[in-house]
Amino acid sequence: MTSAFFGLQTSLRGLLAQQQAIDITGHNIANANTAGYSRQEAVLEPTPAYLIPANSVDNGSGAQLGSGVDVASIQRIRDQFLDLQYRAQQMSLGDATARTTSLDQAQGAFDEPSGDGIQAQLSRFWDAWSAVANAPEDAGARAALVTGAQTLTSTFGAVSDQLTTVAQQAQDEYDSITGPNGDIANMASQLAGLNRAIGDAVFRGQQPNDLMDQRDALIDRLSQLGQVSVTDTGDSRDRIDFGGVTLVDPSTPAGYTWPQTLTAPGGKLGALLDLASPTGPALTYRSQLDAVASDLVSSVNALHTATPFFDPAGTTAATIDVVATIATVQTGSTGASGANDVAQAIAGLRGGSTDQMYQALVARVGVETQAAETAQSTAQSLSDAVDQRRQSVAGVSLDEEMMNLMRFQRGYQASARTMTTMDQMLDTLINRTGSVGL
Amino acid sequence: MSMRITMLMSSQTMLSDINEGYDRLTRLQQELSSGKAISKPSDDPFGTSRAMGLRGELAGLTQFQSNVDDGTGWLNTSDTALSQMSDVLQRARELLVQGGSDTTDQNARNAIADEIDQLTDSVKQEANVQYAGKYVFSGTATSTPPYQLGAAADRYAGDAGTITRAIGPNVQVPINSDIHSLLGDGQASGDNKLLNTLRDIADNLRGGTPADADALRGADLQRLDANLDTLNQIRADVGARTNRLAIASSRLSALQSNSTQLLSNTEDADMASTVTTYTTQQAAYNAALRAGANIVQSSLLDFLN
Repeated sequence: MTSAFFGLQTSLRGLLAQQQAIDITGHNIANANTAGYSRQEAVLEPTPAYLIPANSVDNGSGAQLGSGVDVASIQRIRDQFLDLQYRAQQMSLGDATARTTSLDQAQGAFDEPSGDGIQAQLSRFWDAWSAVANAPEDAGARAALVTGAQTLTSTFGAVSDQLTTVAQQAQDEYDSITGPNGDIANMASQLAGLNRAIGDAVFRGQQPNDLMDQRDALIDRLSQLGQVSVTDTGDSRDRIDFGGVTLVDPSTPAGYTWPQTLTAPGGKLGALLDLASPTGPALTYRSQLDAVASDLVSSVNALHTATPFFDPAGTTAATIDVVATIATVQTGSTGASGANDVAQAIAGLRGGSTDQMYQALVARVGVETQAAETAQSTAQSLSDAVDQRRQSVAGVSLDEEMMNLMRFQRGYQASARTMTTMDQMLDTLINRTGSVGL
Repeated sequence: MSMRITMLMSSQTMLSDINEGYDRLTRLQQELSSGKAISKPSDDPFGTSRAMGLRGELAGLTQFQSNVDDGTGWLNTSDTALSQMSDVLQRARELLVQGGSDTTDQNARNAIADEIDQLTDSVKQEANVQYAGKYVFSGTATSTPPYQLGAAADRYAGDAGTITRAIGPNVQVPINSDIHSLLGDGQASGDNKLLNTLRDIADNLRGGTPADADALRGADLQRLDANLDTLNQIRADVGARTNRLAIASSRLSALQSNSTQLLSNTEDADMASTVTTYTTQQAAYNAALRAGANIVQSSLLDFLN
């Protein structure tokens, strides 16, 4: 037979469990807008039943009398598989974003189509040669030609410098992210700290949900930078491989190893390395621009035979230079003042290989930038879609929490009512029983 | 079971939709304010390269047009000078016929010879005509007058070079004329060209012998007529080249307007359709903002007491 106070204990358990559930609901509501937060749920379980011995019930057998409820655990609602997908998308998004930014910068360096780009300057250069061909005796026309040619060569130099800067900036960004005080070092040390705290809590039999959320949010950020793979070491501590090397390893004393040389960076870092490399887009464009400059130098000098018009040694966009002066500009093959066959022939280069090479280069920059933009918007959509699904599972729905709040409040009220009933029963037993005749 | 929708989801979706809408609006706004459909190569790589090609072509056509104008000016100057020369030669021929007549006495012949000398100088003066400060009949030695005035200096001082103007890709038209083939190098060379002829005529007029008179009526007249033929050939040639330039000019104008049209089609924004799209996008953007404001506000909280 159970104690007369047994029911009081059951109600108390109910009260406490409902209260905890309300606390959890409150925690969820408070974190409704916290990035990376996973909603939590009280896992309610009946407490072990009270065993009523045999022969104490009607048919002579024993029975189990329920003893109430308990919060067995507080569970974090999250789908690890979606995390995996999300991180893969974040990696391609990081890659595409870095590429788009850099290519957009490179594209900006060309400043096309405009009235000031190399295309327009080349066109003016040919115009100036035509003007010289029409008035070979006129020193003014030759002066305008030389000045125009100098503007053209300095524009070549400026575009070349800017392309170098674009590649250099990618390298600088890579260095700053991977440096001793960079993002990776910070994140790795935080991850190692979180690993330790989570390990300790789990060892004490606790469920460190919020620490795990923090760790997941950090891994999300890390996955933008490069290829991340996470392995649970079995005690809720994660080993994190990053860019082909083991970055966070709970079994080492520091918990992480950095700096290291990444073997397969991927993500933003992979893109930055590619953008900074001599075979990356910016420097490829620069070497193609060098080819345009070299073509201009050789085709003009081949016709301007008396003395070179452009410095024959300057065959890159950075070094192309005008050596002709007003006095040495050659207009004709004979020294006659009106001879214009050379000027005529150089003016005839308009629309030739130099212009075509440059147009092809700008078209290539355009195509590649457009492709990068498309890749970025695709990666963004995919990443958004996975994030939506993740939010759908782990996010806080205020409507749902309000429902829970009402549910648990009612549960609490009902438990209190049971307790009151018990109390009234005991009152009857203690204070009113056996008072006959008093 | 339908998908669980949470607060962050709807606000994130709304935010990204609004951003996207705003991005589209900004692009359209840029198109409207600049009037250009292409502001950077990635907007339309093919269109960009096409537009760049067309721009270059257009600049070339403009340059060819100005070359044609310059060449036409040069040819007109030549033609005027040649036509003056022609008048002078007609006068010389009249004088020659008059001087060859037996009714003309020696005094009158001397006077005619003086006039022939004057006419010879006029011919040389016409040959020294300039266009924009350049001697048009000196070949490529454009800063040297082809002939010095005076009987002693009948030698051609120019060269045989050709001056051309480009009127199209790889199309060049010579604009100077070979006056040397008409005027020659004077009496000393004995080349039977115009200056030689005129000087001989003056000498024969002054000579007074029957042989001189015969020469005036015979050989001199024939040579002068031959020289006149040469002059007419040169004039016809100048006229033909002027025509060629005129035709080139109208062809270049047609090409220019064609290329301008193509360029505009390639890189200019189609205002009617851009404005329509802009209005549509603006309506969509406003609707997204309004809907967003409503979605974010309401939850079960609003309906519980």
